Amino acid sequence: MLVFAASDKGGTGRSVTSANLAYRRALAGDEVCYLDFDFGSPTAAAVFGIPRVLDGFGHQGLHSYLWGTTDEPARIDVWASTERKTLRNRPSGSGRLVLLPADRDGGEFVTDDESLHRCVDLFLRLNAEFDVIVVDLSAGRSYAMDMVLRATSRPELRSVPARWLIYHRWTPQHVTAAADLVSGIVKAGADMGHEEEALAGAIRFVRAAVPAVGSPLLSQVPSTTARWMRAYDEKLDVMAANRGIGKTRVLGSVPLEPVLLICEQLITDEDVNGSRIANKATWQALVELSERLTDDAYWGQP
Amino acid sequence: MDATGETPRHVLTCGEVRTGLLPTRHCLDGRDAARLLALRTDEQVRVSERPNLHARSPDVLTGVDCRLPTANDAKIRAIGTVAARAVLTEGRVLQATAYFSAPAAGLDQRQPWGYYLVRPGVLVPLGRLPEQAVAAGFLARDRSAVPSGELGLGSIAEGLLGQLSRHPLLDHDVPFKSRRTRLRWAALPVQDSADASIERFTLDDDGLRTIELRLPQSTEPAAVAGLCEDLALHDWLLTTVVQKLDGIRMGAAEGAAVMNVVRPLVDHLLHLWMPSARVDRTLSPLWEVLETEPGFTRQWQTLVQRIRDQLTLQAIAAPAEASTAP
Amino acid sequence: MTEAVFRETSAQPRTESVPLSHLSLELGHLHMEDLREGPDRLRRHFEAVRPWIDAARAGVAALTGGRTLRLSTCFLIDDYFTRFSTPAELVPMLLSAAGEADLTIDYLARESGCAVTEDVHLAESVMRRLVESPPPGSNGFRPPVSRTGWLTNGQRTPPQRTSAAMTATSWKPPSETGAVRHSIHMDVELWDDADDHRTWSCPFLAAVWQLARLGLLRDNGRPVPKPAPWNGEGFPDDWDDLPPLLRLTPSAAPFTAYFTCTVLPTRFLPVEHAVRVILDQIHVDSAALGQITERSAREGIHVPVQIADRASYVFPPGL
Repeated sequence: MLVFAASDKGGTGRSVTSANLAYRRALAGDEVCYLDFDFGSPTAAAVFGIPRVLDGFGHQGLHSYLWGTTDEPARIDVWASTERKTLRNRPSGSGRLVLLPADRDGGEFVTDDESLHRCVDLFLRLNAEFDVIVVDLSAGRSYAMDMVLRATSRPELRSVPARWLIYHRWTPQHVTAAADLVSGIVKAGADMGHEEEALAGAIRFVRAAVPAVGSPLLSQVPSTTARWMRAYDEKLDVMAANRGIGKTRVLGSVPLEPVLLICEQLITDEDVNGSRIANKATWQALVELSERLTDDAYWGQP
Repeated sequence: MDATGETPRHVLTCGEVRTGLLPTRHCLDGRDAARLLALRTDEQVRVSERPNLHARSPDVLTGVDCRLPTANDAKIRAIGTVAARAVLTEGRVLQATAYFSAPAAGLDQRQPWGYYLVRPGVLVPLGRLPEQAVAAGFLARDRSAVPSGELGLGSIAEGLLGQLSRHPLLDHDVPFKSRRTRLRWAALPVQDSADASIERFTLDDDGLRTIELRLPQSTEPAAVAGLCEDLALHDWLLTTVVQKLDGIRMGAAEGAAVMNVVRPLVDHLLHLWMPSARVDRTLSPLWEVLETEPGFTRQWQTLVQRIRDQLTLQAIAAPAEASTAP
Repeated sequence: MTEAVFRETSAQPRTESVPLSHLSLELGHLHMEDLREGPDRLRRHFEAVRPWIDAARAGVAALTGGRTLRLSTCFLIDDYFTRFSTPAELVPMLLSAAGEADLTIDYLARESGCAVTEDVHLAESVMRRLVESPPPGSNGFRPPVSRTGWLTNGQRTPPQRTSAAMTATSWKPPSETGAVRHSIHMDVELWDDADDHRTWSCPFLAAVWQLARLGLLRDNGRPVPKPAPWNGEGFPDDWDDLPPLLRLTPSAAPFTAYFTCTVLPTRFLPVEHAVRVILDQIHVDSAALGQITERSAREGIHVPVQIADRASYVFPPGL
């Protein structure tokens, strides 16, 4: 299945959360690959702990592939290449976790029919090999987003399940922006030949950096602030529901988590149980999200 | 006599074959196999039903004018056409091969294109061909290090697979996920009328295999391609089944999880083992070498036995689970 | 190599050979606009063509190695791009105009037949046999012509794709591969697709027509197009009912030949240049080509290896 990760704006932790979902799916035994389509600012390599990802590869990233200057984009086996020691030991029963990095100096670019063609080829090929293909798009509408919308509207890719995750922060501005982004996606998709209802039905929201009252991070706030936050939270819920992103369309929430926002890295079981640098609640949210990602029940399918 | 009116003599034949599961739920019958592989509208797909269902596309050509890889960094430019073809075995395993052969020497200048078009699948070097160095360079190269502008047989094979993958006959709902393998081969002529031999067969962990062959000069390039397709097919079967069985935690895994892995293997792969089914008679002895060392069929039989044992265990366990269910 | 005992016919294709004239001489290639002008226009055409036909005939006689000259004439009517009148009305007018100039049309062909004939998709088959001449540096990795519909004799100006960080591209001139010092670059549109319907371009169909005359087209080993005999009685009212290739002269020499010669107005020069670019990049059936090589060698006739060099043209004044 293809999983497209998009966000209304920057600062939602989209890349790092998506990378964590990919990691958790691989731990669960799925064959997973992660495509860095955030062409403007590719960061995925760092998240997986492979900062020197394209050293020695020259121009072999996704830019070069879509551009047509290399026939196969570089693939990095995360388990084998990561610099994080705790990730090195691939647990038995886990699936592959493969990163397809963007070119480091690629930049955002205009896609054309030829890159669309190559994009379809790539998705078809990866679909034969991987259970979950996470495609990380940049914030907002981008050429890459239009390209994948166009690609998934092609008859060749019709039967490949595609799911969209829209990350947004839990503020009025972000809720509005996320709702606008989705209506933009659905409208553009319909123009390209997608069935509007099916496309809209394949979109779920992920609330990111949600300050959960009662979480250790917010344990020091005065009770008046906590009350105000709760009330505001309810107001936001109503607002979100009115904008069509109510509870039924939310796949999950990820709490405000320094490890995600500052370090931007994978949260391993060791980070939670051993060194305890990450919060259990965050870990739990990621596990839950990763389970729901492939659970048809959360996607309106029997 | 061929279209050029001369008898070609080649000192080097190289190819790359990519092997993978046909990306569709059910295997194709002979007629659909022929539809899928109809790369030309004026030339039939060769469909053969004995001893197994096997369909082969006509060869299609790609023009190239580039450097050949060499082990000693000698610069050698060659011009001509690379032949590519696809084969489908039992409507289930799809392979694409890109291959070429080359004469010992060519003219010093590029000729009009028609000169190369009447030599399908032949790359003509400018000047003398250092065939040993090219064979070594071709087999030694790691993909990530292929300098741009050097011959990319893999691209051509991949392009063909990509084209076939778009065929409306395929639903992309594969019965199980699997990786492709790449097998790169190079054949040099035997010394002093010796027998054909496999000099080296290496396996890399990233799905790359290389084979170095010594063959009588009269061997048709297409026959070598056929041999290597057969080797690649069986190597892929072994690789895929091993990977799948490794993926389940034997003993620890639940019955249903084991069945999810084992069932598709039984349905789709176990009956495909048939070494040397269509290999040219002069080349089939080469298979026997691999049967002795490392023993392809021996390993396969062990894997098949493991799968059968799993099935038996599940069959025994199933009624027990049923009786304890609430 | 040892012969196999067990054979499956579907796995063993065979290529039939074709009979061969020395020369296939095309007396003209008229569009419907020309035909619309009536019998006078046709008479003028054949009168202008006449002396050059004799010259072509004399020229090729020198190449036959002393054997009796085998020559057939043909005429192609464009019914693909525009349609006008009916065969019943037009063909007799055409034949009588040729007759008045003392010319015989042995074979009559319809241009639509170069696209599709007898359910054989000729143009499509030929398209799939295009093997682009690689500019130096081509390593097998290029979008195929089947995706673009354009064929060139060299290298195009690189596309001006915008990228934030990819190196800015300045204009580079196109080039012809194998140019003699200076390039004459040509980029040929082979077809256009509109409303799910593909329209083949005039040069592409003309290239198919040349290959047909050169006896190089096969459909699963069977020669195509096959000349249909004419009952001598008249012509149908619908172009679609007229066989794509009709033998008007029962005793005519074979339609297919070692060489072709085509008499055309000069305005067709660019089209025929495009035809050359196309013919230069078609990988014809190796068996069919081999049969011709073998047979011509037996007859002591030198046939050029390059297909495009087997086609010759006359562009007479006043046509």
